[in-house]
Amino acid sequence: MNYLTWSELSPFTQMLMNQLHYGALLFMILAYTVKIWQLLNKPAAGEGTPPRGEHRKAIRYAYMTLAMPWEVEGQKTHWIRYIEFALFHIAMATGIGFAFITPILHEAMKTPFIAIPFQVVFVIGFIAGFSRLTRRVFKKEMRVISSPDDYFCLVLLSVWMASGILAAPLTNATWLFVFFLLATFFLVYVPFSKISHYVYWAFIRFYVGKHFGHRGVYPKKGTIT
Amino acid sequence: MGNKSEKAASFNKHFKERTNRQHALSFASCAHCGMCNESCHYYLATGDPEMTPAAKMDKIRRVFKRQHDWLGKIVPGWVGAREMMTDEDLEELKDVVFGSCTGCRRCTLSCPFGVDTAILVGLARGCLVDEGVAPEGVLTTMKDQWETGNQMAVTQEDYLETLEWLEEELQSELDDPDAKIPVDKEGADFVYVVNPREIKYSPLSLTAAAKIFHVAGLNWTMGSEGWDNTNFGLFSGKPDLGGHMGNLAYEHARKLGVDKMVISECGHGLRSTKWEAPNWGKANPLPFEIISILELMVDLINTGKIVLDPSKNPHPVTYHDPCNLSRSAGITEEPRFCLKRACSDFREMTPNRADSFCCTGGGGAMSMAEYSKKRLSVSKIKADQITDTGAGIVSTACHNCQDGLTDLIRHHQLKYDFGDKKPKQLKVLNVCEVVADAIVIPKDLPKIKRLPREVTALKTILCVDDSPDILKYLQVLLEDNGYKVVTAHDGIDGMAKAKAHKPDLITLDITMPGKSGVQVYQELRATEDLADIPVFIVTGQVDFRQLMYQKKVQAPEGFMTKPIDEKVFLMTLERLLEQSERQMATV
Repeated sequence: MNYLTWSELSPFTQMLMNQLHYGALLFMILAYTVKIWQLLNKPAAGEGTPPRGEHRKAIRYAYMTLAMPWEVEGQKTHWIRYIEFALFHIAMATGIGFAFITPILHEAMKTPFIAIPFQVVFVIGFIAGFSRLTRRVFKKEMRVISSPDDYFCLVLLSVWMASGILAAPLTNATWLFVFFLLATFFLVYVPFSKISHYVYWAFIRFYVGKHFGHRGVYPKKGTIT
Repeated sequence: MGNKSEKAASFNKHFKERTNRQHALSFASCAHCGMCNESCHYYLATGDPEMTPAAKMDKIRRVFKRQHDWLGKIVPGWVGAREMMTDEDLEELKDVVFGSCTGCRRCTLSCPFGVDTAILVGLARGCLVDEGVAPEGVLTTMKDQWETGNQMAVTQEDYLETLEWLEEELQSELDDPDAKIPVDKEGADFVYVVNPREIKYSPLSLTAAAKIFHVAGLNWTMGSEGWDNTNFGLFSGKPDLGGHMGNLAYEHARKLGVDKMVISECGHGLRSTKWEAPNWGKANPLPFEIISILELMVDLINTGKIVLDPSKNPHPVTYHDPCNLSRSAGITEEPRFCLKRACSDFREMTPNRADSFCCTGGGGAMSMAEYSKKRLSVSKIKADQITDTGAGIVSTACHNCQDGLTDLIRHHQLKYDFGDKKPKQLKVLNVCEVVADAIVIPKDLPKIKRLPREVTALKTILCVDDSPDILKYLQVLLEDNGYKVVTAHDGIDGMAKAKAHKPDLITLDITMPGKSGVQVYQELRATEDLADIPVFIVTGQVDFRQLMYQKKVQAPEGFMTKPIDEKVFLMTLERLLEQSERQMATV
């Protein structure tokens, strides 16, 4: 394999993989700090009544339902979509991991034993992203609730995954450049887009767990059939 | 962007001010994944993509995005952001948040995030109500709760008289003069707080509860004030009204010094009184516990204070989980515990508990006459669920659900053969009614026997109905019970005979050719010498609810839905005549 050496990369790619890329990460963290500050500045509706259930248990349950598709009707009835959702998000996390590990450990990653698993995950991520995009375009129910941002995010992530497939072996400078360019843009754009839902998820599940736990609704007693 | 209408600008301002952290999270975290689609009966029944929870909430979410989202402020079109601009926008939103969502929260539990549609709908409803953009029935009922302390504007005199009458009924049924419905009893252990519908129109659940309390030997009371557990603060998204209604009940319970407040079977009543109103009205901590009658009944059965004979309820019974109990109050097992011991054939509806589908009557929908047609059109999901159980009786722990289910059972003609090989419409009963039917009277209490009623002869009843069969049936039933009966086959004939005979009471159908029952009713109320005649609406249509809630004229004294239950019909008729007599005597 003709692995790229650091010196073979253009100065801009080198800057992209280091300063710009990490700068974008810092920007994202700063943007989310402001967003969370704005959110927490809003008054929260409180519960002053005596509880019927257990808060901690319910909050734990609220977080765990993501991994318990049988507990949530939407996840259980659409199990293929649930698997697709899981794979897509695993691929995104892998993409982010790849983007931050490569500039530091690129020498150690120059082996097919590392490149191929990354490529497999990126292929899965691309297929899942494309499938989600197709559904959003062709299903009326999805079109009705989709804004340009919804389409753009899926296109962005799917293309990013595709570039990852070609960048992962660390043999092609152009695709590595494209991958890092998209990753950098992605980090800057994410706080403005619907992709922020992953940050909100942590907060909303806390409140959902607390609220439904307080009233004894969570953990659910019934089963969906 | 063009100029906003005055109402739209005011809506936007209030919306921004009232958006709290939970609202913001529910607005911001929706990923438009579509996982909630099939959780909504409006979407399932119609297949209309605009009826998915996410699509409906986007109609509200767009305002949030315009006001709070960074991109929404700069390039609103990119993220679907838009504030309310015109009065038409508000009307459109009204149809969504009042007419296309009952706030049942089924989608919330089906959402991977837990987007709380109900609180978003509540926020939008509250802001619309402030602009006067809301169903007339909601606005009128809110006004009644503010002014009279109860949603049906029952006067204290009427309320106390009804309780007296119900006490007599109870004594008559149990053949026991000690059977009481105490009011403001000092030293009582708990105060029982009810739905005004139980006082005004449907007292069987109240007498059933009183029977259970009496047989169990409980030390209880009803309050002369603060007795309404319902709360249009919840349905209208107005916490100030919600707090006011809660505080009326809490203040009276404090005066009585009770240990507990027991809420009758009303889903939103329990949710509001126990969970929401103490927060809205800043009443925490309360010096007494608030429980549902369902929890009390479980305790009575467990401690052997009441004994049930399930063979007394031989027909298959299923249970409908009211949304406000199962998804907002955690009450799912108590009704099952009671029903499994009170009837010999209990059948689960699927899905159930927190996954149950809405009865279609939640979120105040019963008071929104303009959406009745739509409500019934989406009721197929629940109707199919019920049909699949093969049950003859649907039990539920909520009066709104009872009305919603009754309407859909009639609409879909759901029938069951109760043994006479003539399938009849399914019955809908509160859990305490099923329990009261199964209760075993202890030996030291006299056996149940119905005493003969006082002679009511010479009272003239005018029956107005376009169905000759119903007219004949009512005539025979009433004449057999000592009444003089005049019949009229349509609205015009009914008005003419009302003028000619000045009856003591009029039973009135709603759907009739020529002049509808609603028109006849309004004309009766506008005619000076007929205005005080009590009117008992007997109908197979849902339109009568506009008379109950919109109250353009004084609400009818009684109503019941067809098919006619003889016992309930005669009982209500007697009550209305007695009430009317008392009022005449006072005048």
